[in-house]
Amino acid sequence: MNRLQLIKDHILSRERNMAMPATQPSPLTTHVLNIAKGVPGANMTISLYRLDPVSSVWNELTTRLTNDDGRCLCLITKETFIAGVYKMHFETEKYWNALGEISFYPFVEVVFTVTDASQKYHVPLLLSRFSYSTYRGS
Amino acid sequence: MGPLNNSSPLTTHVLNTGDGLPAVRMAISLHRLDPQMTLWNLITVGSTNEDGRCPGLITSDAFTPGTYKMRFETGQYWESLEQGSFYPYVEIVFTITDADQKFHLPLLLSRYSYSTYRGS
Repeated sequence: MNRLQLIKDHILSRERNMAMPATQPSPLTTHVLNIAKGVPGANMTISLYRLDPVSSVWNELTTRLTNDDGRCLCLITKETFIAGVYKMHFETEKYWNALGEISFYPFVEVVFTVTDASQKYHVPLLLSRFSYSTYRGS
Repeated sequence: MGPLNNSSPLTTHVLNTGDGLPAVRMAISLHRLDPQMTLWNLITVGSTNEDGRCPGLITSDAFTPGTYKMRFETGQYWESLEQGSFYPYVEIVFTITDADQKFHLPLLLSRYSYSTYRGS
């Protein structure tokens, strides 16, 4: 096989891979930012729950740790992401304690409604020891 | 204003930042965590006044160190304005170590965002 053919095959293979990614990105994402220090909130434990509409019980879907960029990859798959009421639980006190600081909030829970599960939802948390904010982002 | 309304060591202020107005007639409840039972005990139920405030949340005697939760019925509030919202309610959980201090916990709220902080 000549070199040109090798290169063409490599490009076509890459295009095929791009068209069919091995893992689809999570339709639900978060980003924790430590606004007191101006750094991402790394190594924070986050749990995702969905409310069972019949029993009103919170079912835990996943627990993950934020990475060095304060993000949590693979929170949920497209297939599992259905319309409903979700809760993201951020272990903020443990996060501050690991930095040798106390926190006013033992944890932060953000409860939100997903009406259209075909959309993407970005739920960040901007956090200091005595304040936090969240919004629906993109 | 009666002395009881002025003396709550814990206060809040809810602001509708989407409209630039106080959030009026929002139902709020205050709970304290019972450490033995891991249950939330309801302390007060109230609703915000014309200024978005809720005086008389708790008395100084009842305000002891512990873990508290303030729950804001934000979904109901937006429904009463015939608008949808991302959050069915907002709960803020906080720790009181020194109950001799005053604690002001505002909620700045829009249909798709909220923030809170320890104020004065």
